[in-house]
Amino acid sequence: MDKPSHISVILDLSPSQWHLSSLPENPHPLSLRSFLSQLLAFLNLHIASKHENTLAVFGAFPSKSVMLYSSTDPEADNTENVNPNMYHPFQVVDSRVVTRIEEELESLDQSEEEAPIGLVGALTKALCYINRIIHPSASQSSGTTSEDPTTLPDPRILVLSVSPDLSTSYIPIMNSIFSAQKLKVVIDVCKVYGPDTVFLEQAAHLTGGSYIYLDRRDALLQHLIMSHMPSPALRKLMTVPTQDKIDFRAACFCHKNIVDIGFVCSVCLSIFCAPVPVCSTCRTKFPIKTLQRLNASRPPGLKPANGALKTAPSTPHTRGPSTPR
Amino acid sequence: MAPRKDIDYMDGESDSDVDVIDDSGDRGKKGKGKAIDRRKKDKGKGKSSEQPYAWEASYTRSWDTVQEDEAGSLTSAVADLVARGRRRRLLAPANAIRRTIIRHLIIILDLSASMLDRDMRPTRFGLTLEYAREFIVEWFDQNPLGQIGLVGMRAGLGERLSEMSGNPQDVLKALSERHKLEPAGEPSLQNAIDMARTSMSHLPTHSSREILIIFGSLTTVDPGNIHDTLDACIRDRIRVSVVALAAEMKICREFCDKTGGQFGVAMNEGHFKDLLFELIPPPAQRALSRAAGAGATNLAADLMMMGFPVRLPDTSPPTLCVCHSELKSEGFLCPRCSAKVCDVPTDCDICGLMIVSSPHLARSYHHLFPVKPYQAVTTLDDTSTPAKSCHACARSFPEAAATNVATTEGLSPLGRYRCPDCHHDFCTDCDVFVHDVVHCCPGCGK
Ligand SMILES: [Zn+2]
Ligand SMILES: [Zn+2]
Ligand SMILES: [Zn+2]
Ligand SMILES: [Zn+2]
Ligand SMILES: [Zn+2]
Ligand SMILES: [Zn+2]
Repeated sequence: MDKPSHISVILDLSPSQWHLSSLPENPHPLSLRSFLSQLLAFLNLHIASKHENTLAVFGAFPSKSVMLYSSTDPEADNTENVNPNMYHPFQVVDSRVVTRIEEELESLDQSEEEAPIGLVGALTKALCYINRIIHPSASQSSGTTSEDPTTLPDPRILVLSVSPDLSTSYIPIMNSIFSAQKLKVVIDVCKVYGPDTVFLEQAAHLTGGSYIYLDRRDALLQHLIMSHMPSPALRKLMTVPTQDKIDFRAACFCHKNIVDIGFVCSVCLSIFCAPVPVCSTCRTKFPIKTLQRLNASRPPGLKPANGALKTAPSTPHTRGPSTPR
Repeated sequence: MAPRKDIDYMDGESDSDVDVIDDSGDRGKKGKGKAIDRRKKDKGKGKSSEQPYAWEASYTRSWDTVQEDEAGSLTSAVADLVARGRRRRLLAPANAIRRTIIRHLIIILDLSASMLDRDMRPTRFGLTLEYAREFIVEWFDQNPLGQIGLVGMRAGLGERLSEMSGNPQDVLKALSERHKLEPAGEPSLQNAIDMARTSMSHLPTHSSREILIIFGSLTTVDPGNIHDTLDACIRDRIRVSVVALAAEMKICREFCDKTGGQFGVAMNEGHFKDLLFELIPPPAQRALSRAAGAGATNLAADLMMMGFPVRLPDTSPPTLCVCHSELKSEGFLCPRCSAKVCDVPTDCDICGLMIVSSPHLARSYHHLFPVKPYQAVTTLDDTSTPAKSCHACARSFPEAAATNVATTEGLSPLGRYRCPDCHHDFCTDCDVFVHDVVHCCPGCGK
């Protein structure tokens, strides 16, 4: 642990999902309040484990995203209720995060609570923030980030998710994943509640992070500490849990369904769930013969129709290292 | 069909995503040189009067030419670069551009004795290898479904250096074996182009076929009539681009002009790189605005059925793969027949479905849905409650307008750039980062 590390934590704060999660029918009910108390312990541990470690917390609320806390932008502290028995940085983090979440949740009215959460906004904001702290730019002469490159932190993003996949955000999430790859940012995902999300699985896989589905939700803090605390460099030496299989499915552009077999426009690579005569993205018209052939081969039988064999128009002989030599 | 498509290719004048960063000389003049370059008009004359060729200059080093301003700082130079980047984005056509995204490219490297010339440092050969490596990495980054092959021109023959491959490592490996590439003899354009052409003849119709020639010689030793080869390239719709290191040769220009490629003579190291990197963005096919039902007859477009697999982890119980019949834990399951293949993209050996991992496709989507350019905020008078800090990275905005950059077009004196959709303000760095890397506005989340 010679290099300081930075964690941008993204909290999925969908009120309806947290309500479902706290219902006593669940095998291990977890309420937002007990989640937050375990999370704060984890955040405090991160700050305490090395002096130079930095932290940012983003909240993904229904249809909006907010930066809740960042250690590089200390706002004016309200110093009236300082608890002398508490390490001051802990108190700052804890009170700031909790009060901001309460403010935001309070300001939501009933109709907004069901809206899908602003995960993309939170993810892109985290990336912009990380871009800012790892590339202290010359054009910005603020003294806060004038560190020399050796002390710049190792950045990573931790997503704590409770909502299901939002298929309309397929493209922006993929774009965020590729920018994380460019910045060499690892994305860890801890799925606290709800079904597995295909997109976050891919995010963790493509950036070299770990995706963990929380079975025992009463052991949240232990999971966080054991698998998300070690920096990516340390994980080569330790065995951290990894996901078993990765689902590479995509969302179609027409209905935002998640599909495993899609029809792809050869010009712009838009994905459709059924053969379409015209590409809705680039307005290319497809030959009628192709449509007939694809439609004929569509009903999934034991043996695909002849047309299907011709359909895959790729270049099997030269593609990739998979062909036998 | 063929001629129309060729014209489409040539339209792509303003589509280069590559920064025109000049390493030497006067910025204004250089910009003009580039424009002429792209328009392919009177280029030879226009250029030579503006900038010396590498062999004419005594010595140049890029850091000598960066100008300090009166205050002795480089900020205005940097700001100028940023401003030009912004303007370029604003000028870029916002309406639909269609790009041939499944690309096939064969790079023909000149390995003749003339590549040992030292007018480019360290030698033309060494520099070409270095830039070719960078080019390949960047090319695959932007064209994830593309394939590259390598052909060398040496001792009057065409030599296949690497087969067409979609894996950058395969291609780079061929370039890393430098001792196998030592330049010798005379080049033969015809032999090399014919070799490249035949290796692309089997490709499906909806992919692009391109040849890039890095040519350091002024001669070519051909067994037959090279114009026959040119005709064959036009017939096969192969786009030939040439980057010449020595001087313009008529046959090279003819190849580029008639096949819709780009031609350029590298004036120095930086310009050489610019010329190469201009060829990285997918060639645009202008949305067919011309009448006569152009879209209806676009035979090159097609709809392809593709499967998105599930990847098995390294810890799963070993099973036989269908491609090599080997016992392995990891692999990908075909979504239609559940056969296990070792690697994607590939065709399923059992049911023939094309299997690709969806991130492969998604890598090119930012070309389709670019973020709208942010507008520079010049005054806060019409904003009721201006945000204190950048909406994305929370950096605080300067209180007052900076005075020294106020005159530059496209730059905000307040350091604020506003999204036309969500009306949030972003700082300079985030503006650049969002448009060049993330391709998704943090305010809109789209
Ligand atoms: Zn659909
Ligand atoms: Zn399309
Ligand atoms: Zn195999
Ligand atoms: Zn199959
Ligand atoms: Zn910013
Ligand atoms: Zn926006």
